[in-house]
Amino acid sequence: MNLEERIIRTIQGALEKRPEITLESHLREDLKVDSLDLLMILSGLEDEFSITIEEDDFLDVITVNDIAVKMRARGI
Amino acid sequence: MELREFYKRFSLDESLAVGTGHNPYYLRIDSGLDEKIQVNGHEMIDLASNNYLGLATDSRVKQAAIEAVQKYGVSLCGTPIATGYLDLYQRLEEKLASFVGLEEAIILPSCYQANNGLFSSIAGPQDLIIVDRYAHSSLIQGIKAAGSKIRPFLHNNLEHLEGILQRSRGYRQVFVVTESVFSTEGSLAPFKEIVQLCETYRALPIIDDSHGIGVLGKSGRGILEEQRIEGYQGIYTASLGKALANSGGMISGKKGLIDYLKYYCPHLVYSTALTPSVLAGTEAVLSIIQSEFGVIKQRLVTYQQAIYESLIEGGFTLAASEAPINSIQSGSKESTFILAKKLYEQGILCTAFIEPSVPVGDGRVRLIAGANLRQETVAEVAEIIKRIGRS
Repeated sequence: MNLEERIIRTIQGALEKRPEITLESHLREDLKVDSLDLLMILSGLEDEFSITIEEDDFLDVITVNDIAVKMRARGI
Repeated sequence: MELREFYKRFSLDESLAVGTGHNPYYLRIDSGLDEKIQVNGHEMIDLASNNYLGLATDSRVKQAAIEAVQKYGVSLCGTPIATGYLDLYQRLEEKLASFVGLEEAIILPSCYQANNGLFSSIAGPQDLIIVDRYAHSSLIQGIKAAGSKIRPFLHNNLEHLEGILQRSRGYRQVFVVTESVFSTEGSLAPFKEIVQLCETYRALPIIDDSHGIGVLGKSGRGILEEQRIEGYQGIYTASLGKALANSGGMISGKKGLIDYLKYYCPHLVYSTALTPSVLAGTEAVLSIIQSEFGVIKQRLVTYQQAIYESLIEGGFTLAASEAPINSIQSGSKESTFILAKKLYEQGILCTAFIEPSVPVGDGRVRLIAGANLRQETVAEVAEIIKRIGRS
């Protein structure tokens, strides 16, 4: 499973509604992610990749792909 | 700073209310919570307030409040640490702690303040706070103010919670925070199991029992009684403005912690103490609960069931409620406002929840039939609901 697939699986696990998620999905508009959902997603990513994430570093993400870009920038 | 730009930021988007022709918020109430209430000059049935036991206008409670005003006046004009610590205040602290079965309690001006003040007094950046995804705004805001690491868990999902607890190492303290009754849904937390998980993973449980106190348990003592949780070692908060029919909030737990909060919880130390009438009114409600809870609760359950059946017959989709709450899953915020409007036009006052109070697109219309209503009034409500459902 590649990085993007692992991110999408993590987001699916964090959102109870399990919507269809692609790299282009907008977190707020398409997936209806609110601030607590975002915290759930970040917690899930911490567990999935065994890293620590500062919430502030991810406040500007708009799409799922933005998360992937940030993760790659951390060398994952 | 450009003043005009600053104030422009605060313009309110009224398109939802304009588009649906209804704004369910800040409706002007011109009466007390009687059998029928006056709303914007119309007579309506109150299914919106949290007056579960119907004691907000009980003559004995009113009398207790009046006598307190006659004896003490309307305010002590001071915080509890200064001139606000009346004999009534101390007595109510003791009675509340004893009522919920814990060592000691403090009383704040609201449960919002209790929840806001608690976390910044007991937690900091080295700590982890694990919180139910659906927890009330007061808990979330309080938790955020503490600056701790926050990890939400899926609503009432013990497996998810345990997974987080298993991975939570290296923190100074770990807290698990939830509510007894999630008021938009009526769902109940599996709190006994949460307490057990906390024991296993050496975390401290914190419960907000605002919709449970005076409602849950065989004698109305709340979630700890309901789920037979003995020797609770965690922290307990609750509102005094719902079933207890007054105002204010409480924090209860171990004596050492409560003594500490009396000096180090700024929301308590720097807030004017609750007024004599409220203190006496709450005490009177506790006394009524202790003598009449069985009869009152029976009415509450009967009314909830009657309304539930009418909603099902009317074709509404309901959240699975385990409390005296009926919660209609109303979908988008537009649909939620439209349903609230239909009920309003038929003389029923409900509570409409849209985001951010609930997840986006997952609106709720909540109906709580207080025990003060007459059976005929509840039958009238049931007929209206069925009619709206069929239309």
